[in-house]
Formats: sequence, C-alpha cells, structure tokens
Amino acid sequence: MTTAVQPAGGGGGGFDRPSSSSLADVIDTILDKGLVIDAYVRVSLVGIELLTIDARIVVASVDTYLRFAEAVNRLDISDNEQKGLPDLIQDMNEGGAKSRTKGALEAAGDKLKDFLAEPADEGDREPVNRGRRRKDED
Amino acid sequence: MADTADTQASEGNERDTVAYIYGIVPADVESDPEARGIGDPPSEIAVVRHGDIAALVSHISPDKPIGKPEDLTAHAQVLDATAGVAPVLPLRFGAVVSDEDAVTSELLAEHHDEFASALRELDGKAEYVVKGRYDEQAVLKEILQESEDAARLREAVKEKPEDAARNDRIALGELINNAIAAKREVDTRKAVEKLGELGVTVNVREPTHERDAVYVACLAEVARQSDLEKVVGELANAWEGRVHMRLLGPLAAYDFVVTKQPQE
Repeated sequence: MTTAVQPAGGGGGGFDRPSSSSLADVIDTILDKGLVIDAYVRVSLVGIELLTIDARIVVASVDTYLRFAEAVNRLDISDNEQKGLPDLIQDMNEGGAKSRTKGALEAAGDKLKDFLAEPADEGDREPVNRGRRRKDED
Repeated sequence: MADTADTQASEGNERDTVAYIYGIVPADVESDPEARGIGDPPSEIAVVRHGDIAALVSHISPDKPIGKPEDLTAHAQVLDATAGVAPVLPLRFGAVVSDEDAVTSELLAEHHDEFASALRELDGKAEYVVKGRYDEQAVLKEILQESEDAARLREAVKEKPEDAARNDRIALGELINNAIAAKREVDTRKAVEKLGELGVTVNVREPTHERDAVYVACLAEVARQSDLEKVVGELANAWEGRVHMRLLGPLAAYDFVVTKQPQE
C-alpha cells in the first residue's frame, strides 16, 4: 500500500457509495426529470391524486442566512492558523501511508498540538460515518 | 385529467385497477418476480411488450393517492435496478393510464421507433450522480479566513445583543451563502472538468441544499464504472475534510432522457 493516489474507498479521501438512493436523492430525481406521459398518451390518461411533496429545500432565504450566522457564532476558530499540519499528519496516519519521515512528522505534530487549546478534531475525520449526513436532507 | 377510458376496459383487465408506468425498456427485459413497486401493499411489476420495446407497469387502485415516500423510492428502485443491466427510459413519477391495452396501443405502438432509437443510444450506459456537500465547519473557517468582511461581521454579531445584531446576522449569513455559491461554482467546474476527461456526458444539476458543493449527473458506460469511481475518489482525496462526496448509480438516465428531444 504505497501508491500515492488512492482510488475509491481507500486512504483518507473516502466517499459514500450507497447501494440505493435515499428519499432526498429520489425526490431530486423522479419528480421533475424523465419522460412526461402527457406528451405521449392523451386518450387513456388517468388523473390519480398525487400527495403533495414539499421536501425541497429553499436555497438562500433569510432563514438560511440566520442559520449560517448562528453556525459562525458557534464556530471555534482558535486553531485556525495552525490547523494545517496536524491535519496533514493525521491524514497520513489514517491513510496508512507509511513514510520514513513519519517519526519526525509525528513529533512535529505533537509539538503543534501542545500549542493548541483543543486536540486535533478527531470527530471530523470518520469517513465511514458520512452516511449519517444524509439525514440533513430530509 | 378525467378517466375517459373507463367504459372501454377490456377483458382480462380489472376495472378497479389502472396501469402505473415506471419506464420503457427493450422487449427482452424480464421482470424480477421478487421486485415490488408502488402502492400498499407494494405491487408486482409486469412487463408489457410491443415489438422491440416494453413498459414496466404495476396495476394499482385508482382511488388511493400515490406519492408516499415508499412510492417514490419504489419508483426509483424499479428503474434503477434495471439500469445496471439494460437501458431504460424513465417516466416522471405519477404516469398512469387506464389499462395494459392503453400502454400497448397508445404509448408503445404509437411511439415505437422513437423509444427504440433512444434505447439503442442508451445501450450499455447508465446515469451516475456525483454529489459533494461542504463540511459546515470547514467551509465556514475557509470563508472567515478569506473574507475580511465576514470576519468583521462575525465580530459585530458577537459584540451586540441578539436583537440589535439581527441585520448584521442576516448580512453575515448572506455573505456566507454567496461565498459558498462562488465556491460551488469553482468546485463544480473542477469536477465537471475531471469527469469530462473520462468522456462522459455531464449535466450540472441545480443545488438542492445550501451546502451543496457539487451536484452533477453523468451518463457513463456501465462497463467503465470503476473509472468513474476512481475520479470521484480522487476528488474526495483532494477535498478531504472539506467536501463529503457521494456517488450514486447506476441509475436510470433521468437527466438525459428528455421528452420530444431524445439525447443527441
């Protein structure tokens, strides 16, 4: 496992590969895309009651703005400037990329972490758990 | 939208059901006896054939409204299960005609050549959807670093009581929203460029979430799916911690099958 570029699923840059679409994916897809039956069938068309579907998220409303402002307010940016290196080190460790300089880099990371108010953000780096984000869309 | 064909219901078709159509496929497609479609209880899937083409159909009650979440996912699943093995022309959700005869005579017979040629064009291909969503923390930090205005507004909001800061909050949120839109444009362009190198046809979708980074559909060879996965993996690597990537597919070619204007 020494290849530099790690394809699908390997390494730190994993992506979700669900076997079927979530409801949110489906709503984006089947309600306003695909062939329109009215264009092909006129005589035998049957009007059947469609339940109202209002799951689309309105982009860019005042509510959106206020939510973003709130998120910024909660944001802890104390580790802003120095975020780069510890992150990089963690990526390398998690990605399984073994390097001769690993020891040295780790030491540097430890030093940096000493300066930081909080430990490197472990919680953000769980590629396998990304599926849960889907509930954001519902 | 009246039920005008009621009186013509033919033998063998129950008058108390109507034909729900999922999509159009080549005539040699077999239906999976285990597969279930829309309705409660979930309906069976029939293949109604005419010449070289066929429609995937369920018999449902005309009296019950449709569109529950299970109906929507069933519609997509019926089509997407087919898309991996055969070309399929998806119909928009909610296509209902009086009975199987109407499917054959009005839909399939009248438009046979048009559908058959669209299916030939899709042969071996399916739709894949590439979705990227910004990590909220990461993208907000990025914006605060890049925009002095954002950083200034953030301070203003902090210093004032909540009521007094409302306008500043809205201004800050709008600024962030616009900054994300600008990032989306750049990142979408990068993704489209990389996907384009594979020679796949790409359709950029409208964002449906405020933190959408990339939302594109591609029409790609099913046999070359691994190439697509590789590219999405590379994008995920490049954007690690910043954008969460998803790849859906093979799906029916919803974005590339257009009424009156079959692809290309």
